[in-house]
Amino acid sequence: MRNLSSQRYLNVFVALAVSALFSNAPAANAKKTELTQFDKRDWHVTSQQDSDAPLRDYAILYDAGGVDGALGVIGIPSMRTYRHIKCGVDLHNFPFSGSNAGNNNGTPDGKYLYVSDKGADTIVEVNLQTGWAERIFALPKPFGVHHSAALAPNGKYLFATGELTGKMLKLRLKDGATTVLDIPPAPSAPDYPDTSKDGRYVFAGNYYHSAVMVFSQDPFKLIKEIPVGKNPHGTNVSPDGRLVAVCDKLSATLSIIDIDKLKVHKVIPVGAGPLHNQIDTLGKYDYISCFVSDSTSKVDLTRMQLVDEFPVHYRVGHNSIAPDNAYYVSQNKFSTGLFTPTGIVFAVNFELQDIDETSATYGKTVKIIPVDGEPHEGRQIFASYIQRWNTGKGEELFSKGYELGDVKVSFAEGHGTGLHERPQLEPTHVTDSSRGWVPRDDGKPGITKEGDVHVVRIKAFSYGYVPRFVHVPKGAKVRIILTNIDKAAGLTKNPDVTMGLAVYGYYGPRTMLIGVRGMSAVGEFVADKAGEYEFYCQHFCGPLHLEMRGTLFVDPPGQMASLAVGDYDDVSKQETILVEQERKWIVGTNKLMNKLNEGKEPTI
Amino acid sequence: MFNTRLVMTAFVVMFMASAWVSTPASAELGKGSAITDNLHIGVIDSIGDRQVSITTKFEKSAKQYTLHLLPECYVMTANRGEFKKFKELKKGDLIAAYGWYKDKKWNARRIDILNPNDYLVKRLDSDAKAGVYNRHER
Repeated sequence: MRNLSSQRYLNVFVALAVSALFSNAPAANAKKTELTQFDKRDWHVTSQQDSDAPLRDYAILYDAGGVDGALGVIGIPSMRTYRHIKCGVDLHNFPFSGSNAGNNNGTPDGKYLYVSDKGADTIVEVNLQTGWAERIFALPKPFGVHHSAALAPNGKYLFATGELTGKMLKLRLKDGATTVLDIPPAPSAPDYPDTSKDGRYVFAGNYYHSAVMVFSQDPFKLIKEIPVGKNPHGTNVSPDGRLVAVCDKLSATLSIIDIDKLKVHKVIPVGAGPLHNQIDTLGKYDYISCFVSDSTSKVDLTRMQLVDEFPVHYRVGHNSIAPDNAYYVSQNKFSTGLFTPTGIVFAVNFELQDIDETSATYGKTVKIIPVDGEPHEGRQIFASYIQRWNTGKGEELFSKGYELGDVKVSFAEGHGTGLHERPQLEPTHVTDSSRGWVPRDDGKPGITKEGDVHVVRIKAFSYGYVPRFVHVPKGAKVRIILTNIDKAAGLTKNPDVTMGLAVYGYYGPRTMLIGVRGMSAVGEFVADKAGEYEFYCQHFCGPLHLEMRGTLFVDPPGQMASLAVGDYDDVSKQETILVEQERKWIVGTNKLMNKLNEGKEPTI
Repeated sequence: MFNTRLVMTAFVVMFMASAWVSTPASAELGKGSAITDNLHIGVIDSIGDRQVSITTKFEKSAKQYTLHLLPECYVMTANRGEFKKFKELKKGDLIAAYGWYKDKKWNARRIDILNPNDYLVKRLDSDAKAGVYNRHER
């Protein structure tokens, strides 16, 4: 009886176990769910899911990370940092590949972005699908790139500004061929560009001229300069292609340029220190980052007036807007007292603001995160552009392409479809130099010879250097001692302002000095390439940070270096950016200069 | 023998004609959308072979445009970024189309299906009802 009972219990147990096993099977299948009405209310879920991962972001913010030489990849709206993509020395901005149709986020195809490296004087192609740098465009020297934000409507050409030499560049993305224009009169600093969406014009602010320059896209040439407010910076074309919004940094205004008439239509007061602007996808509102007034100003482009202003916690620089216009990210430059100290240079921060007018938290900061590096341009895309790589179909995605709805995106056009043609580059950030700090050096600014070393003492302050011009002979061992003598950081009044010194181009990876207060930064390198190289402050220090510049002349024997006299062919090869085995991925050198057949390079 | 007035009149007519030809959109600015705009917002009236006809919204006077989808033009939802097939577009959908006017056609590079409950759509709608029409104030 007992045995029978035991057998019965055993049978019941087995039956329950089998039943549980089978009842689990449908549950496992159920994970591949269709979109439910609950999903549709959830910003995490954008399409049918094959997992129940609860922490999806619907959009991705890429930010050109500045001094850390890496792109930041941040989820929206969670503001979680997913990864960093190594690209080089000092990154400033980028467009997504595809088309410039739409607002600043463009019409991406999900393949690449092209980020400008002001430190190395290159443009780096990053494959969004692999998440690695894939090619480097070596720009004709001397150039001194700042921004590469402007893509032609057909996505085949990139326009970049040579802020540090007064030049502009049109670059064919297929092979790196270029046309370079000189923009007189000196001093000239073409700055932030954008392209009209109809293929007609390129617009770029020029802070030395207090004007917006207008170029035709094909043939690439200067058409006119439109005077705007003092020291214009962010320059953005509206998605309807009717106007250009220009941040007049020192005039506290937004100049609106009528694209058809190519003249200023209206000037709107927006707050002190407007730096960058982001127009929503429907062209209704423009959001302006105001550095001095610590605010996000909102301009109604229909009414042509300021309609709202949101406070931001700390000095803002760049900004970005979500692809669905629901969120705005204020990319702030200082974090005084906000975060736990983790090193000599404080983390900057990103502040997520809710700009949905129907939301209970409209106009409020909903999240703030510390960010490493010193990010510049940020642009956002829907996460749905990035394919799933954990399904075992990686190679197929490259060889056959992927689909955006019923449009096939292929890697066939460009540099190949095979996996061996998808390198995993990690361009050099620092090389052939030593860097560090010493107790605050109060020596007189200038150049002295100590043994066989040329010691260059430079004082940095808001917003300049003493001395402004530095001459050393080619081959000299150079020791730069950078001392931050800033008292109040000008208008910013931030106690933790860091001053920097980076010599662009060949000497970029050899300098990148960090001048924190109370001690001096020291960098040593050999000046083995002649030429005239601008140096600049790579750590944001205030409204005129961009104008904080000096010049290093490495004089060849018996000559004085200039923009015409120097080893520019040599440095164009960018041989120290990548190891020898990977240099085949560097395209474009001085030899390709002016290879574009202007007038027959249509941009739409 | 030489009619000065006639010559001057001819010059004036030629000058006016050249100005009109060189800036076809200028006369339209401030009066609503123009075919040369790079963004159109409207409701789909009809759907053809990779083309849609729309009637614009939020303007003082609605206009009709035919949009021809470029081969690389994709369709997606504006508030979630979900890609759609062209055949999923429906008559009556409110869309934003991004592209350019070339060769006497308006070429669409991207079509976003707008959500009528999106705050920005609601704002454009309420503004238009209040007399602040889209693309009229410039």
